[in-house]
Amino acid sequence: MTRVLPLEDALLRMQRDLKRALAKDPRQIRWGMVIDLSRCIGCHACTLGCVAENKLPPGVVYRVVVEEEMGHYPMVRWRFVPRPCLHCQNPPCTKVCPVHATYSDEQGVVRVDYNKCIGCRYCLVACPYAARTSDFGERYTNDTPELPGKLFGRRAAFAGYEQRLSAEYGRRWPDRNGGSPFGNARKCHFCLHRLKVGMLPACVTSCIGRATIFGDRTDPESLIFEALGSPRLFRLKEELGTQPAVYYLK
Amino acid sequence: MSKPEFLAPDNDLLEMMHKPLDRRDFLKCSALLGGSVAALGCLPRLGWAAEGRSPVFDVGDAYVHHRPENQIYSVCQQCNTNCGIKVKLVDGLVAKIDGNPYSPWTMTPQLPYTTPIAQAATVEGAICPKGQAGIQTLYDPYRLVKVLKRAGKRGENKWQTISFEQAITEIVEGGDLFGEGHVEGLKDIIVLRDPKIAAELAADAELVAAKKMDLAAFKQKHRDNLKYLIDPDHPDLGPKNNQFCLQWGRLKSGRSELLKRLVGSAMGSVNTHGHTTVCQGSLYFTCKAMSDQFVEGKFTGGSKFYWQADTGNAEFILFVGANLYEGNYGPPLRSVKITNGLIDGRLKIAVVDPRCNKAASRAWKWLPVRPQGVAAVGLGMMNWIIENQRYDARYLANANKAAAMADNEPTWTQTAWLVKLKDGQPTTFLRGSDLGLPTQKRPKKDGGEWDFDPFVVFKDGKFVPFDPNSETEPAEGELLVDTEVPGKGIKVKSVFQILKDTVTARKLSEWAELAGVRTIDLEDLAREFTSHGKKAVADVHRGVSQNTSGFYNVLIYMTLNTLIGNHDWMGGLAKATTYNLDGSMEGKPFDLTKQKGKLKPWGISIIRHEAVYDKTTLFNGFPAKRVWYPFASDIYQEIIPSAGDMYPYQIKALFLYMGSPVYALPAGHKHVEILLDPKKIPLIFASDIVIGETSMYADYIFPDLTYLERWEFSGSHPSVTPKVAPFRQPVSAPLTDTVTVFGEKMPLSLEALVLGLAEKLQLPGFGEDAFGPGLHLKREEDMYLRMVANIAFGDKPDGSEMVPAADAEEMRIFREARRHLPPTVYDYDRWQKAVGPELWPRVVYVLNRGGRFQDYQKAYKDRQLANKYGKMVGIYFDKLATTKNSMTGKPYVPHVAYIEGPHDCLGRKLTDEAEGYDLTLITYRHIVHTKSRTPGNYWLQAVYPENFIDISPVDARRLGLRSGDRVKVVSPTNQDGVWDLGHGWKKPMIGRVKIHEGIRPGVIGFTLGHGHWAYGAEPVLIDGVRVKGDRRRATGIHANAAMRVDPVLKNTGLVDPVGGSAVFYQSQVKLVKV
Repeated sequence: MTRVLPLEDALLRMQRDLKRALAKDPRQIRWGMVIDLSRCIGCHACTLGCVAENKLPPGVVYRVVVEEEMGHYPMVRWRFVPRPCLHCQNPPCTKVCPVHATYSDEQGVVRVDYNKCIGCRYCLVACPYAARTSDFGERYTNDTPELPGKLFGRRAAFAGYEQRLSAEYGRRWPDRNGGSPFGNARKCHFCLHRLKVGMLPACVTSCIGRATIFGDRTDPESLIFEALGSPRLFRLKEELGTQPAVYYLK
Repeated sequence: MSKPEFLAPDNDLLEMMHKPLDRRDFLKCSALLGGSVAALGCLPRLGWAAEGRSPVFDVGDAYVHHRPENQIYSVCQQCNTNCGIKVKLVDGLVAKIDGNPYSPWTMTPQLPYTTPIAQAATVEGAICPKGQAGIQTLYDPYRLVKVLKRAGKRGENKWQTISFEQAITEIVEGGDLFGEGHVEGLKDIIVLRDPKIAAELAADAELVAAKKMDLAAFKQKHRDNLKYLIDPDHPDLGPKNNQFCLQWGRLKSGRSELLKRLVGSAMGSVNTHGHTTVCQGSLYFTCKAMSDQFVEGKFTGGSKFYWQADTGNAEFILFVGANLYEGNYGPPLRSVKITNGLIDGRLKIAVVDPRCNKAASRAWKWLPVRPQGVAAVGLGMMNWIIENQRYDARYLANANKAAAMADNEPTWTQTAWLVKLKDGQPTTFLRGSDLGLPTQKRPKKDGGEWDFDPFVVFKDGKFVPFDPNSETEPAEGELLVDTEVPGKGIKVKSVFQILKDTVTARKLSEWAELAGVRTIDLEDLAREFTSHGKKAVADVHRGVSQNTSGFYNVLIYMTLNTLIGNHDWMGGLAKATTYNLDGSMEGKPFDLTKQKGKLKPWGISIIRHEAVYDKTTLFNGFPAKRVWYPFASDIYQEIIPSAGDMYPYQIKALFLYMGSPVYALPAGHKHVEILLDPKKIPLIFASDIVIGETSMYADYIFPDLTYLERWEFSGSHPSVTPKVAPFRQPVSAPLTDTVTVFGEKMPLSLEALVLGLAEKLQLPGFGEDAFGPGLHLKREEDMYLRMVANIAFGDKPDGSEMVPAADAEEMRIFREARRHLPPTVYDYDRWQKAVGPELWPRVVYVLNRGGRFQDYQKAYKDRQLANKYGKMVGIYFDKLATTKNSMTGKPYVPHVAYIEGPHDCLGRKLTDEAEGYDLTLITYRHIVHTKSRTPGNYWLQAVYPENFIDISPVDARRLGLRSGDRVKVVSPTNQDGVWDLGHGWKKPMIGRVKIHEGIRPGVIGFTLGHGHWAYGAEPVLIDGVRVKGDRRRATGIHANAAMRVDPVLKNTGLVDPVGGSAVFYQSQVKLVKV
């Protein structure tokens, strides 16, 4: 059989899909994600892509990849399950927030308003997927040495990759010396700041197996729409009725 | 600038990106982007988002990474895959690292090269986790910014900071530098400076070695110049200059040319050695032997290279000892081609590995091979293929180029060639002269004549002479030939017959037993491998090459590929192809190989590479004191141990660049004993970014720049089919001190060190007019920007391959993106001047894209690769048959062979297993670590904070171990299970056990990257101040010190005596619960 060369990387296809979505009336967009487990190679590039994009401090991870070895020698398989916030359409976390800091927006993204969050961590407990973590204000560079003029040193390293926070939700946050999101609940937000400028979430563009598909679930021309029609489709803990906007392919 | 907040590419342009641009499209694109204002005017309706913040899509505008003015393209060096990267800068700091979408490493297909950079600004390709954590390599708190000199004994980790000038002066001048007595400086070592005297000595020394000149006559003739020699009684050792040695770990083009210019052609030392054998040495050197061509009477000119699968188009790939989802050059560029292929049904893969690696988990078959039996899988497959005649007989019959051309085959091989037998053993090829045919005089390329003596095939009962390179007279031969030359009494066999004899010497089931796998699996693999025409590949890596029989292991799998003749076919075997950058080709703008007063290094190297023991004056019977390597180079594990034995002479000064042999090599702890003793190597200086596991044993450490602050031309990998030339360029402002060399201010770096030494020693080829009149070499860009110009020009002498010129908009973006760079590394006018105003806009075009990349579609033509190997694929080596092994005194086996291991360098099989060392220790790669250099990337610790000793449940039960138990690794040559680091400091090799179903019983494994004792893991003293260690950097275990020390060599690990590999997978150990 003669095969032709691929014409387009899936990343570009999805970016075109995104562009089309952004041109729509925003009230009609329903962001969603499909993670194809048979394409996931357990490389953790998405975990790091997310950490690096959002400059996450120690203890805060938005998207983990769970590795599991299955079977008995020599019939062994690995299963890798990336787990971002699933952006439930019926989210248990938002209901328990005493200050309404966490909520679903019009496009189905479950957000945290850092300016309102009081850090009570009720939402962490309420999430059945353990998708939320708390920012205790830790720093990677805290225990590193300072020897001015001789080593690059702690202060410069802190300024290099910790002090200035990322533009989550497209906002400028105070330097990492206190203030939000210090003390807040933190979680995946589908990289809204990137979506806004026509870029895919960092976990999508960093996926070296192209296992993560993102887009507007209502767009019939999109790659995600195709994926949602797969017989391999399932959702995590479907029985809870949380209706995640993040789907999986077996 | 104005605020075009919404810079998402418009539909038309994005659509253009996914199809190849034709010229009309390109003009349309360029017209659209004539300038920023024009571009904005041309953009189609942007939708609601452009109209300001929408109340229903409530996202602010603080994100700035997507603006092209905040991006610089470069190349990652978190590992040697060298993926193209897009670095995003905010307020002059590196804020994020993503994939360069122009690079075929990060997208398949990548963006068309002519896509304007403004349009690529929002597009990013995918790179691996450690590539994204590179920002923590740049901003590592433990990075050095000043030169360090040891203030205590070697390896005590007591340091003082000194000025760059003082360090250069001390290294060059020597003296009582450490209060331990006089140390010779480089000026005392680099004594032979006159190229004419050097050439005369070299020529006559060669005659003495060849016994064509008497030693006494030599000494008489050169009596005035004997003072330049290491040993006048052994002139073939070369000049004293050879007692200066450069040893490097990771070095790519640009820096490589600069260093070889210094140590090779300016200092005249033959000792410039890389690290190849710690990686996949035998893979390189087998393929080098295979790529030798028959030129003017000799097999020569082979490239140090190897083949990999055209991953994106193959239908079946057999990965052997290749961990392609975590290492293996490399995950970003190959994984997507695999996952796409597996999902859409194009591709099937099988994995041969003692461990169920992540790729095995997605494979059709995982064969958990015995580490000692990896060769047997390939031999068994060939047994089945040959017995069942499933090879490509049409391809294999072609004995020369003309025959291959007639069949539209880009390559040909030697299967039909006839070989003479002696006592039943294959020796050299049968030649026309053996049949009584006359030889033919032919002109040499560089003048003179040579005698052509044809090779011979057997066809239709006749012996047929042929020329392997003939394009006009096709020669085909029968494959199975076992006969005698009538009247001459010469018994001959075809190469194919010899191969058949070898692979059928054991039954398929016997090969399976040696491999420790099922017979039916070998049959299945062989059937599958021969069911896809040219679109099947055996793709091998370290698990095959890093064994005592590495050379032959690789030859087995490469011969397996040759049985289907898959080289240069789409979906078959591919090789790397790059644009020339040194300018040595015709028509290039800058010939950077020019160097006035250049010395030609000569003499026997410290690692005795490409030298034959019994053809030197050192020959004193077999075995030699240490192994000689006629067919390999860059034998990393031999450099320091040979210096330790002072064989064949003493190394007086060692320059270590970006390498950590103590940490990276098997039995690297044996290096420590040598490094600690200044009497063995009196002067050691290192270029490093931190105090590392090996640089801690240096006398001086010169801080270097990280890959994000500097230049380097990273080349390509075999599975990258387009022709490319990617490079690193300054992205971040330099973070080291500023120094002055040749009157120029520059950051402390390798370049400053090289230029500083050259200036102090007044070496030729540096400074004023170094490359010719008006072409100086005083700064890094004097060399590197001109290399970019050579890339921009292309490889066609008429310039027809030149890249387009950057337009005004691209020029604006170029300048703005570099607004944070200081004049020590970037100055617009200075840069422009270095290449001249004509080439400059084209240079900027290439700089703006992080290199030059052929479009993916252009890498294929008529079902074949566009960038071809296109030559003979050798599988039988005359050269080996006529060369004696320095340890055994016997000729090397010249063909595919099964060689039992592990063996010592004398070829004696080791008996450690029988002596109770019941587990075979292997190492592997986790994607988040690269050997010694990633412990400071704290982000990665969220994924993999500690490594473990992987063990099967069977062995764990037998040894009473549970997951989490602490164990010590002990071996026959490290019974205490410790790293002896000197001065009483012993670090035990203790780690925690993790039980895995996916590892073969009898085998244990660990990932390389943990168990640090330097690199910030332990405290050091600088100027009397204690710098604390960071426990996060010290987690886990590093068990290389448990690897088997060769019982003959005694100060290095086991070796492949042919291909030079350091052996990683054949040490027997025990675990002791602690």
